Amino acid sequence: MISAKDIIYLDYAATTPVDDRVAAAMCECMTREGVYANPASRSHQLGRDAQGKVEMARGEVARLLGANHTEVIWTSGATESDNLALKGVAHALRDRGRHIVTSRTEHKAVLDTARQLEREGFEVTYLVPEDQGRVTEEQVRQALRDDTLLVSIMHVNNETGVVSDVAAIGRVCRERGVLFHVDAAQSAGKLPLDVNRMHVDLMSVSGHKIYGPKGIGALFVRSGAASRLEPIIHGGGHERGMRSGTLPTHQIVGMGEAFRIAGEEFAAEARRLGRLRDRLLDGLGRLGGVLLNGHPESRIPGIVNVSFEGVEGESLLFALRELAVSSGSACTSATREASYVLRALGRSDQLAQSSLRFSFGRYTTAEEIDRAVAIVSEQVHRLRGLAPKKVASGERQAS
Amino acid sequence: MDALDYSPQVKERFERPLNSGRLLGQAVTGGAGDEALGTRVEFDFRIRGGRVEQGVFRAYGCPHAIAAASWVAESAEGRSLSDTSWMDPLSLASLLEVPDYKLGVLLVVQDALEDAARKAVRMED
Repeated sequence: MISAKDIIYLDYAATTPVDDRVAAAMCECMTREGVYANPASRSHQLGRDAQGKVEMARGEVARLLGANHTEVIWTSGATESDNLALKGVAHALRDRGRHIVTSRTEHKAVLDTARQLEREGFEVTYLVPEDQGRVTEEQVRQALRDDTLLVSIMHVNNETGVVSDVAAIGRVCRERGVLFHVDAAQSAGKLPLDVNRMHVDLMSVSGHKIYGPKGIGALFVRSGAASRLEPIIHGGGHERGMRSGTLPTHQIVGMGEAFRIAGEEFAAEARRLGRLRDRLLDGLGRLGGVLLNGHPESRIPGIVNVSFEGVEGESLLFALRELAVSSGSACTSATREASYVLRALGRSDQLAQSSLRFSFGRYTTAEEIDRAVAIVSEQVHRLRGLAPKKVASGERQAS
Repeated sequence: MDALDYSPQVKERFERPLNSGRLLGQAVTGGAGDEALGTRVEFDFRIRGGRVEQGVFRAYGCPHAIAAASWVAESAEGRSLSDTSWMDPLSLASLLEVPDYKLGVLLVVQDALEDAARKAVRMED
């Protein structure tokens, strides 16, 4: 049994540990000595204090997105934000059209919501990314119809780290008068964002992807677009009627602090992560038979997704249990379904299943990357040595 | 048993697989499965006096495939390949605590053994 403290955490794209500064800010909003009152209780000072904290946090989130603070709606996370964006627009505008455009490599929060809308009678076009995982503005332009209500394209893919040019896509949507939603769960705090420059009408973000707490997210709703959004949760009229429910002050304050820190530190952090990525790819490349998944340049530095030739996926994952990494397959008790994202990029089932996502972040060290490379190299060599056909070393290198 | 949760026997044979490799010189080789489908197993057996003197395996597959192939290669030693009934997938599943949904993997291992056994009989003929 491997002790948890001996495991190298390389799954930052799944979630991040809460930053100590964030945890400290959250702790000030829970106990009797802190700001624990209901921010909707404006009849007393304690409630107004909580409201002040909530609005300060809202301002931090808005600042990172280049938005006005009145355009940020608190949700339980990016999944709810995606649901609110897609269902909210579709239900509000159902008399104007029935068509939605998205891509096959979106997060399940978008894809499953789109499927639900299909069951309700909407039509959805699922674009297959053409440019090594990137959806292009031309693809979107060609998919638009007179009855298209909404385009939903993610900024950074959660499995591959590939960045799509959402500003170009947003321009196309703006020209055609179609609302544009962006799932930015993987880009907020990692890339510069500006909802105005990107022509975005709705943007989903999450707290826990950038060292904030789980269970809190936000949806940017462009001023004016709010009237075209039907809520999916009712009861109390919080968040200007778009998302009812008592606001969790400590979660919101945590997310606000996480966004504040990210705004100050992400540029330096991106440079450091880029060096770690190069170190990882150099190390893995020496193995041979390692294929980088997704666009080689248009990607964020903290996510590396590679396929290992000549190694079976389940054995690879089990052999690497000293590393907390994500597999290229959905692992259930009975089946191993290859990643739909990697399949959409043209990888075979076999290679998709032999893929790993390494994602690293604020607390990852060069020593951890070196140790990870050593473990992966040892185990891939070992498993290839057991296999009937050995992959020739250096046959293909990671690029 | 959850995915990626293996019995001690499977873990042991996965991490320290006995009888892995390739036999040089005169040996009978049998194989089954397809890497593209997730499992490929091959055996080499050196036969002397009608019995397996040495058996080795190569496997591309999940830890259950590797463990089962290792067990078969080792267990074949000292036996005649004219009778492979000792390799019963259900019994091996029980021994290695292989879940029901992985029985197909053990059938590939059995097919590889039987392929080698057929070739051994032909060689004797």
